[in-house]
Amino acid sequence: MRKAPVDIAVTRRLLLGALGVAAAIAVFAPCAAFAAHGASPLKVVDSTIVAAPPEKVWAIVSDFAHADWLPGVARVEASGGDVPDEARRRLIMADGGVIEELLTKRDTERMMLGLHREGDDVKRLPATNYTALITLRPAAEGKTEVEWKARFYRGHPTNDPPPELNDDVAIVAVTALLRADLAALKAKAEGRIPSPRP
Amino acid sequence: MVRINASAPHPNPLPASGERGRARVLFAALLLLLSSAASASEAFVTAQGADALSIVDLSKMETVATLPIGGKPAGIAVSRDGARAFVTSPEGKFLTVVDAATRRIEKRIPIEGGPLGVAASPDGKRVYVADLYGRRLVEIDLASGAQRSVGVGAMASGVAVAPDARTIVVADRDDNALSLIDAASFSRVATVAVGKHPFGVTIDAAGARAYSANVESDDVSVIDLRARKVVATLKCGSRPYTVALARGRVFVANQHGDSVSVFDAESLAPLETLKVGEYPEGLAASADGARVYVANWFSNELWALDARTLKIVGKAETGDGPRAFGAFIRDAE
Repeated sequence: MRKAPVDIAVTRRLLLGALGVAAAIAVFAPCAAFAAHGASPLKVVDSTIVAAPPEKVWAIVSDFAHADWLPGVARVEASGGDVPDEARRRLIMADGGVIEELLTKRDTERMMLGLHREGDDVKRLPATNYTALITLRPAAEGKTEVEWKARFYRGHPTNDPPPELNDDVAIVAVTALLRADLAALKAKAEGRIPSPRP
Repeated sequence: MVRINASAPHPNPLPASGERGRARVLFAALLLLLSSAASASEAFVTAQGADALSIVDLSKMETVATLPIGGKPAGIAVSRDGARAFVTSPEGKFLTVVDAATRRIEKRIPIEGGPLGVAASPDGKRVYVADLYGRRLVEIDLASGAQRSVGVGAMASGVAVAPDARTIVVADRDDNALSLIDAASFSRVATVAVGKHPFGVTIDAAGARAYSANVESDDVSVIDLRARKVVATLKCGSRPYTVALARGRVFVANQHGDSVSVFDAESLAPLETLKVGEYPEGLAASADGARVYVANWFSNELWALDARTLKIVGKAETGDGPRAFGAFIRDAE
């Protein structure tokens, strides 16, 4: 779904300040692709059946540069084409935040797409080093099973996390993220109007 | 499927006289099964999500036992004689000592911080554990239980002991370096700058070279241990995690590449890139070098590779989130 231009304009006006701050932080922070993390990666797996053929769903999923169907995304800035470890996208969120993601895998034959979130914002998602692996498989009646797996670490980088940044909080948040992402993909692929954004 | 557990209690007394012949045959068959179970090589795979150790029979490529460990087990070291397995639990802050033959937990040793990488001395008397958060390597004397520490770099991860037992190598992940520890004096004698974020570290059978998998620079540093310097850098797949050596070849597990890169150990020429399961992590070779095993974290599998033909020769399902970070193969006697 393409957003109405007025939304973007409003978003831009409202959040220029916030973006400015983010840019300033980006300048001063070392550009660490993979932030510090502990010893115990966590895993969440979710899946859904989409009433569309695998080729059609793959066309949406694999179009890394145009993922404006993702929940809460106002627009996408992308670079590097669709080459793994080169392609990057900046998800400009409707709330003004920015999420940067690197394409880590694009296997058309097996219909698998991998991505890694660069830079962590535990206020947005109380987890770090989020990596996703999306796999499409043919399902009955010409439909598609979409499996979305996530690897991440809790928000707190070392042992003894505060309660708001522990494993359970991270798992709950990533579970909700995957559910929302899958619902949005399903709506997009099935040509339905997506549910209102939170 | 018949499952023989070597730690099972003594079999029931044989049935009375009339069935003696059949019982004798059954008993003989049981003995045979027991002996074959004891002689099969096994993989001790830490399944971190499952909070357990998955023990895989490598002749059948099948998980034959699951041992609850707790504390999110990650690191593993099977002693050279196969008698014990040492498992680190970074969240639980302890090391579990497993009697590998009976698959029983012998004891649990508390270790402060975040115990992760682990290696045993060749004689199996000492265990070395990297504390991820404490900038230290911990030595445990198993007989006395005594612990001592030596300072290393930031986020100490992989640990390897040279075959002559004199040198210990630690990957100081966030320092982009390896620490070389003199085992006798238990002091840090050198640091060697390597690629970005070294994680797994492996030493060859001659004790001449160490190899570190550098996660963030997508390469492997080859270190001459005598000269204490990097002599080569091997470009591999995306996010290399661990290194194994077999049949004169260097194997590297690439997490994001879902692959294993293979190099010739002498010429260091790249030979092949093998597609494996999803998110490969732990990698280890059998003692005879015939096979290399790789734990695939996302797809919960252990895959077997033929080190000579470079073909996939088997797959086994494991518990959730296999890490198998360390020397996880227990070779048949």
